[in-house]
Amino acid sequence: MAKQDTIAMILAGGQGSRLGALTDYVAKPAVPFGSRYRIIDFPLSNCMNSGIETVGVLTQYQPLELNSYIGNGHSWDLDRNSGGTFILPPYVRQAGSTWYKGTANSIYQNIPFIDSYQPRYVLILSGDHIYKMNYAKMAAWHESKGAEATIAVIEVPWEEAPRFGIMNTDENSRVVEFEEKPAKPKNNLASMGVYCFTWESLREALIKDEQNPDSRNDFGANVIPGMIDEGKGVFAYRFDGYWKDVGTVFSLWEANMDLLERPDVMDLRDEMFPVFSRNYQQPSHYFGENCRISNVAVTDGAELYGDVENSIISSNVIVEEGAVVKDSILMPNTYISAGVRLERCIVGMDTLLEPNVRATPDEPDGTENFRDKLCSNGITVFGPNLIIREGLALKGNSMVWPNDAVRVPELVAERYPSWRKEMGQC
Amino acid sequence: MLTDAMGLILADNERIRLGKIDEPRSLAAVPFAGRHRIIDFTLSNMVNSGIRRVGIVALTRYKSLMDHTGTGSWWDLDRIRQGLFMIPPYVNMTTRRPDRTDSQSIIDYVESGHQEYVIISGSEFVASMSYLPLLDAHLANGADMTMLCVREKDKYSAPAVTIDVDESGRVTDVLVDHPLPKSDLRAVSLVVLKRDLLLEILQDRMARGYSDFSALNLLRLYDLLTVRTLIHDGLLFRITNIAQYFNASMALLNDEARHQLFSEEYPIYTKVKNRAPCLVTPESLTLRNVLASDGCMIQGNVENSVLSRGVVIGRGAQVRNSVLFQDVQISEGVTLDHVIIDKNVVIKMGVRLLGQDDYPIVIEKNAIV
Repeated sequence: MAKQDTIAMILAGGQGSRLGALTDYVAKPAVPFGSRYRIIDFPLSNCMNSGIETVGVLTQYQPLELNSYIGNGHSWDLDRNSGGTFILPPYVRQAGSTWYKGTANSIYQNIPFIDSYQPRYVLILSGDHIYKMNYAKMAAWHESKGAEATIAVIEVPWEEAPRFGIMNTDENSRVVEFEEKPAKPKNNLASMGVYCFTWESLREALIKDEQNPDSRNDFGANVIPGMIDEGKGVFAYRFDGYWKDVGTVFSLWEANMDLLERPDVMDLRDEMFPVFSRNYQQPSHYFGENCRISNVAVTDGAELYGDVENSIISSNVIVEEGAVVKDSILMPNTYISAGVRLERCIVGMDTLLEPNVRATPDEPDGTENFRDKLCSNGITVFGPNLIIREGLALKGNSMVWPNDAVRVPELVAERYPSWRKEMGQC
Repeated sequence: MLTDAMGLILADNERIRLGKIDEPRSLAAVPFAGRHRIIDFTLSNMVNSGIRRVGIVALTRYKSLMDHTGTGSWWDLDRIRQGLFMIPPYVNMTTRRPDRTDSQSIIDYVESGHQEYVIISGSEFVASMSYLPLLDAHLANGADMTMLCVREKDKYSAPAVTIDVDESGRVTDVLVDHPLPKSDLRAVSLVVLKRDLLLEILQDRMARGYSDFSALNLLRLYDLLTVRTLIHDGLLFRITNIAQYFNASMALLNDEARHQLFSEEYPIYTKVKNRAPCLVTPESLTLRNVLASDGCMIQGNVENSVLSRGVVIGRGAQVRNSVLFQDVQISEGVTLDHVIIDKNVVIKMGVRLLGQDDYPIVIEKNAIV
């Protein structure tokens, strides 16, 4: 196989359980984002823009949607005769088989894949962050430091630092200590979950980690602290662009809104560093005769006849005349009927809201029966592939799950018949 | 399900001029419906009819067309066997002079395919339909060739090919641009015939010194061969002059027409560009009855218009009844009504351009106004 100097491995196997119904049957990296995109478009486009031509995508949880979305990587110019995009699920071996036990174990199980390209450097990326980053610059920096591992870090507000993995560095940017979610952080440099390793060093560290029965086989918890403890050259590379972990309902909502509120820091229109996505070929979108549209991002196939304000509208969304949508995210193929009123909502793919459904943070007469601890800041989530029956009114912080089609069939139904009922998963 | 026919698309038509918008590009590559081009429709129709071998005859200014079609991957025509073939004219091999020998390249394309039938499509119409009914009609009617035609409901406008048929549906007369046509049947350049017959016709024409080739050439054989017609009564836009082009663009703002042209049954494929989502900013106060595309930035007011990708409408601008091509920039305070603006045009601050219903103003590619 042709040698590749740098290859990227994207960790896309996580469930993203804090997104609740939105990841009920898709992996988090496949969750729609920002009108035209899925979350994984960001690391894939970063690879494309950084000149990386071989990418392994490690999948495990609900991979169907993600696999079909990525395909052969054509949409990101990552279909190559030499190298290209590879979906890497766990597999059965003669000596038994295991699921990916942790992030480090998933790479460990794919050592032969990486070895076949004899790379000098391997990038380990998360499939669930929104950011635009040139990895080539980071790899060059890694090389200039003679590092064995380089961890991309970003300054976070001090009050938020306890939520992150914090890097304590010396004056030469060398990491002297790694603290996972420290109560009293000494620093506000948070790990972005973007690592560049010298393959030789990583290979050795992975084999060692695998031999340790007490390890959780996790990069952040085991492999990187282990390398620091052993005195390996671990460095922190400062990134000062936009970066957002979209692991929670609120942060996913916020990151979407950032596209409208802060286009200066998250510029999707920059043709020098574009974000690509798989395109399902729809006609141009249409603004109806009596619609009122303000501060909206919208894409192919959408038809807006109602009032839409401060919202992210994905492909094939229909908003009927008489519907009001505010501060909300409508994922692909959702249908919003007349009389619907939404404020601070996320509507999952393929979901249909019948007339007069209402969901606003302080909806008068709104039920609290769908309140969910995964939702905060008044945001309501409608899961994917549902029909929300006419007139249902919800207070904020609610989440409607696919399972509600069984629990409260008079209020919620499945929109398209699926295998889920037969499998007892709904 | 494969269809035993190959496709042949004629990207140009010398009899048709669309203002200035087909000057820099083939007729087939003229933008339509925001993010599409005219060829997307017939090419997608062919693919949706199970055709997997399509040749595109491009005579001149085909850079934009070839950029657009690429390897054919957008139509799933990047195949190891069959797929998409570009057919530019050959230089005359004997004299080495650039005499046009269009037909020889077409003969080579047709000869190397094994399908029994050829479906030939021009680029002067836009419709979304299966071509199988035409093929089926041809198999049933026993004619040498079968051509699509429409009954023209609007007032007559040239260029147009009017045909007359007898009771059996056989073509008995073909009148080109006749000012007082005696029938309302207009030929649509969509023809099906046997591969071997097409080869015979092409070789015969070559031998007689005719090198050009068009659907009209075929139709004019009506007194030597049996030519029958299939009348299409679904939505079909003939695009043979700039007024028709403009009216067809405006017709897409009607929900029913748009949904007929872009149905789930017959998806229309096009080249993907990966622009950012369209942004409508709070400064845009009026936005009604508009077809817009990705990459647009709408800060001004737009009504009854079609916007291609990457169009920027500045604050306070008033755009009405207009068709704006890719990356057109409308500066602050501009007023437009009944204007067609080609790619990359910049309209500077405060400019007013007002066209008329049946006579839109056309601004050519790359202009700065």
